[in-house]
Amino acid sequence: MADTPRVDAMLFLASSVHDMKNSISVMIGVIKKFLAITPPEEAENYQEMANMLYETQRINGNLIQLLTLYKFSNDIYPFAMEQVDLNEFADAAASHVAPLLNSKNIDLDIDIEEGCLGEFDVDLITGVVVHAMNNAAHYTKDTIRLAAHMVDDALEIRVEDNGRGFPQQMIEEGIAAMRGINFSTGSTGLGLYFSAAVAKMHHSKAEAGSIRLENGGKLGGGCFVMRLP
Amino acid sequence: MIVHKAIIPRGDESEIFANSACLVIDDFPNMRTMLAGLLRSCGANSRMIESAANGPEAIAMLGKRRYDIVLCDYNLGTGQNGMQVLEEARHKNLIGPACCWLMVTAEKTTDTVMGTAEAQPDAYLIKPITEGTLMTRIQKIKAKKESLAEIDRAIGARDFLKAIRLCDERVQVDKANAIDLLRIKCDLLVKSGQFDKAKQSYENVLNLSKHEVPWAQIGLAKALMQAKNYEAACELLEPVVDRNRSFLEAYDLLAESYIALGEKGKAEHMLERALSLSSNSHKRQRAMGELSLELGNFERAEQSFRKSVTLAEHSVGKSPDAFFGLAKAVSEKGNPQEALKVLDQLEKKFGGEEVKLRAKAAEGLIHQKNNDPKKAEEVAQELSAMLERTAVKLDSVGTKEMAELMLLTGKRDKGVALLKAEVMNNPEDDDHLESVREIFLKAGLSEEGNAMVEETRREAVESMNAGILLAKSGDYDQAIEKMRKAIEKMPRNVRLLLNTAHIMITKMETNGADLTAIRDVRKHLLSANQIAPNDPRFSSLMSKLEALAATTRG
Repeated sequence: MADTPRVDAMLFLASSVHDMKNSISVMIGVIKKFLAITPPEEAENYQEMANMLYETQRINGNLIQLLTLYKFSNDIYPFAMEQVDLNEFADAAASHVAPLLNSKNIDLDIDIEEGCLGEFDVDLITGVVVHAMNNAAHYTKDTIRLAAHMVDDALEIRVEDNGRGFPQQMIEEGIAAMRGINFSTGSTGLGLYFSAAVAKMHHSKAEAGSIRLENGGKLGGGCFVMRLP
Repeated sequence: MIVHKAIIPRGDESEIFANSACLVIDDFPNMRTMLAGLLRSCGANSRMIESAANGPEAIAMLGKRRYDIVLCDYNLGTGQNGMQVLEEARHKNLIGPACCWLMVTAEKTTDTVMGTAEAQPDAYLIKPITEGTLMTRIQKIKAKKESLAEIDRAIGARDFLKAIRLCDERVQVDKANAIDLLRIKCDLLVKSGQFDKAKQSYENVLNLSKHEVPWAQIGLAKALMQAKNYEAACELLEPVVDRNRSFLEAYDLLAESYIALGEKGKAEHMLERALSLSSNSHKRQRAMGELSLELGNFERAEQSFRKSVTLAEHSVGKSPDAFFGLAKAVSEKGNPQEALKVLDQLEKKFGGEEVKLRAKAAEGLIHQKNNDPKKAEEVAQELSAMLERTAVKLDSVGTKEMAELMLLTGKRDKGVALLKAEVMNNPEDDDHLESVREIFLKAGLSEEGNAMVEETRREAVESMNAGILLAKSGDYDQAIEKMRKAIEKMPRNVRLLLNTAHIMITKMETNGADLTAIRDVRKHLLSANQIAPNDPRFSSLMSKLEALAATTRG
């Protein structure tokens, strides 16, 4: 009996998160609409609205991650791999971050060969990549690169920027997240932990998926790399 | 934002939207506005976007015109949910195969996305939806539907062999839909009774892929179960549910296989596991109810059937079986008044002669069970009168229940006649014959039952063979006449129906097709397919019939 209240609390948490998500997706729609009709010349309004969009999307992203982790731990996430055209995937992911990149005048390089195919759970990987692009948008100077290539029989998706790169401590947190440890003190813990959990669910008969953070890449800044066998 | 891309963007995609009639279904006005706005920004014409706030409204609108694109929220508040609206629209034929139905959900759960519902949408969209996602998804679905249109038509006409040929042809030219084509083909191999080929194809998929392929695992399991190889199905699925614990369909198939193997305890455990992950499937609750009845756990049987009834309330797929199960569970618990109330509710919810007859039989058995033989006899009398007035024939379950009541209340001739018809219809199905003998045993008429079953079985087989002998001697007309008379006596005898179709087709192949005969053959084939799906003879005869029909069209 001692366990019962805790279970109830988890259920409430999950259902409230679900409920909040609905409100937030309406808010995001409205902010996007206002952004589209506000001329960029009204610089102050425009910038504030763009920030509001960034913050709202961050909340939305975090809520989705929380909810999904809850489902992972209760075996109720309907994990489903499907064949995906990486260029279509990139377009869809880009459309999630387009208003933000527009408002901050950030360019996006998409570097994916035509006809490049992958096999993964689209919703999970979209969540991870959009989250990574949102982060990159925050730290980059003016460009983000989204690339996907086959490397050693696995698909590697890279989100790179031309900012100052990750501090060493973050790169180690990336490694820790893969091991299932979270010693983060900042706000990044959830995102990394989630990305690592998602990567690990994508395993072939031979190898499990993984993530890593590094510096350099084509743009010389921070790189988020997800490897899906 | 400037997007730098190496590849050339495709042509103007918004044309797909410009001429499309769109329907938005959502209970929140805000969401309806937002979704309609999204469709507009994809290029849809504002005057061609309509919206509905709930299931009944949507069904009414779908009945008035054909929509090309439907965006439907899964959660529609009280009443029907999005899946049930789709289910009803399909059931009532309100949407054609060209319609794109996209289900919008706030989140992805096993309940919303992997419902065991037969009607699956073309895609799920997780909120928040962007213009880009909507555009690419619809474009892809449209392209796929165009590629599969001819195959869909062949499947609609139940010409499975032609559909398989078309799949083989298309896969050569359409690499983008290769996986879907393979999947459809495998499914058709099962539907056409070619279990060995189906098994081989599924195994190929599973061996060649570097990942696990859930659809092929499920497909292979179903093919094995169709071939009655339940041990192999269990061996395949047991590790699957251990690795992928959210895979509800695998639990359900495992439970079904365990039941077929007589391992009720294991089946119970499997259904319990599946229900603890998702208790919202009326079919799974009903399966638990039925298993609990067999295990004598009437308390849980009652609970499960009640849940099943509630969950199916807004579904077109609801079945009277859950009510009958509930009535039985309550009756077994020694509560006849409550059980009779359930039957009242049932008759209010379901019309039709068949339900009335079966309910009458159930009513009599409830009295019999609860030591009121006088009442039971009265009801049996009423049932006899009803049977004399009607031409409706019940399925096996219903017929056996009526027969049981007749035998238990001393109406021996009536009971024997009903069971005799059952034997005539299924003379070669040993399990079925055994269940008929059991009813005689319950009524203390074991010996008489055994004799009747044996004699009737022989009579049925003889009359089935008589037609064949005549056909072999070349006298098609007499053979067909003989078989027509036999079908009158055993309208649900699958082999007889298929034999008759076979001989009528052979005659037409020699002497030329005629429209009346084609209509009759199709009727026989479709009833055989309804009683015994996945019979290999059905699909080859259907293909031959379609070829003949094509010659009459010139």
